[in-house]
Amino acid sequence: MNWVFLWLRALGFSATVPGIPLIALACISLFVILPSCALIAYLDRKLSADLQARVGPCRTGYRGMLQPVADCVKLLQKNSMHSQTLGELLWMLLHTMALYASLAAIPLGSLAMMVDTQMSVFIPFWSALVLALGTMLLGLGQYTTPGWLGGIRTAAQSLAGTFPSLIGILCVGMHAGSFRWSALAASQGFLHWTMFAHPFLLLAFVVFVGGGLVLLAIAPLDGGLAMSDIHGGVAVHVTGRQLALFQFGRFYGFFIWSVMTVVLFMGAWRIPESLRSWFLALDAEVCISVVELTWLLLKTYVLMLFILWIARANPRARVDQITDFSWGVLGPLALVALVGTAFWTMV
Amino acid sequence: MMYFRRSVFIALFWYLHSIVKSSLSIAGSCFATLPYLLRIGESRKEVTDGYPDPISSKTADDLPPRSRGLLFNDIERCTGCGDCEHVCPAGCIEVASEPGAHDSRIWVSVFDVDFSRCVFCGLCVDICQPMSLVHTRQYEGAAYQLEDLVASFGRGQVTEEQREKWHLARQRLSAPQEGA
Repeated sequence: MNWVFLWLRALGFSATVPGIPLIALACISLFVILPSCALIAYLDRKLSADLQARVGPCRTGYRGMLQPVADCVKLLQKNSMHSQTLGELLWMLLHTMALYASLAAIPLGSLAMMVDTQMSVFIPFWSALVLALGTMLLGLGQYTTPGWLGGIRTAAQSLAGTFPSLIGILCVGMHAGSFRWSALAASQGFLHWTMFAHPFLLLAFVVFVGGGLVLLAIAPLDGGLAMSDIHGGVAVHVTGRQLALFQFGRFYGFFIWSVMTVVLFMGAWRIPESLRSWFLALDAEVCISVVELTWLLLKTYVLMLFILWIARANPRARVDQITDFSWGVLGPLALVALVGTAFWTMV
Repeated sequence: MMYFRRSVFIALFWYLHSIVKSSLSIAGSCFATLPYLLRIGESRKEVTDGYPDPISSKTADDLPPRSRGLLFNDIERCTGCGDCEHVCPAGCIEVASEPGAHDSRIWVSVFDVDFSRCVFCGLCVDICQPMSLVHTRQYEGAAYQLEDLVASFGRGQVTEEQREKWHLARQRLSAPQEGA
């Protein structure tokens, strides 16, 4: 059962209408992902301005709150500077695939899942990989030096980041006994989080988040898109609508990784059991889904802002430092976490 | 890499040591920014200012007293010495001068400032002896063509016959002195 179905039924639609899953996907995209993107983009700009003693956006709306909308509108009305190459078309296809294929598998609450399989965790993970692949193809398809270097760097980074983050997932799977979203959530409580279950899982949490930053090239580990040495890398020749899609894809990767982290390590969408049973007694399933979604998104935003805080306060790492860090530090630590979790689960 | 020294344990120690050290360094810089975020003490004020235009309700008069706007050269006072041309790190000033009708009068034929290259460092204004070159409070210099960004303050090229005339005038002025 789906929360969108619940709302649609409340509005008088029948759940058996064909095409309702598509409407549900559109609803998730429009009412969860896009507002999150705007919110985090605004907070990122405003908070990094505060950290660096600047003013930040202040023209559009109250304290610049409409800045993401203004940015988006500006990008949408721009024309592309050059005709599209085959590589760019391929990348567009991959980005769109990654954006919409994993929407159905995003865990946004116990009633908000459309797809929950034995290997749910790996669907968004696959989506992150496809995003990295699309970025690499975009870079290699540009026939420019920054594009090529950016593409190669993206390939190296995503290869380096996949290994530790995958092992991080395995640790949680071993702890929870399943890769099903519902099972992962059931192994945690409102404040009883997997990352605090034992030290090795805390280590796995760090490895998983760090690996994700490397894999998706998110600041401060974004050597593939570095502005200082390769002029923005892959993004250098992307303009207008393509840039809007590109930035949205990058945000989506960051967002989905944070949601995964919250569900895997930070108590998922679990609300206090008493609250849940109270809502159930009232027969208010919509309320449960809304509260769960709010709690999950709140934790996600806090995690994202924490990462952005680190990114804005520290200089960007060089690309060889990033891959060194991923293979040389995160990799061994991931293996330690895996072995430790295995022993802890056995004992 | 200092990991691989005498034994595995020492190598492991240095490996963990470097991890802890860099984690502490990252955490240190994160906490160093906290006073700015929370607006504590000296870190309260922003170091940047709003752009002076109707939206921020600021005008050119609200600019800081030492703000460096577009350059202006008072050609009446300019001696055409070329100090500004030599000191300019961007090489955006071009000066050409020649003797005028009198030994004390210098004809500054060319004084071009290329604002597309100017970095507004103010070195030229500092070095200007007759204080003819100044920063104005004008700050909006956008143009559609690159050539439009070149500001010309010079008096213009001298024709050959004018130059001849000045030469004769100077000779006439200096002749009595030679005689005396």
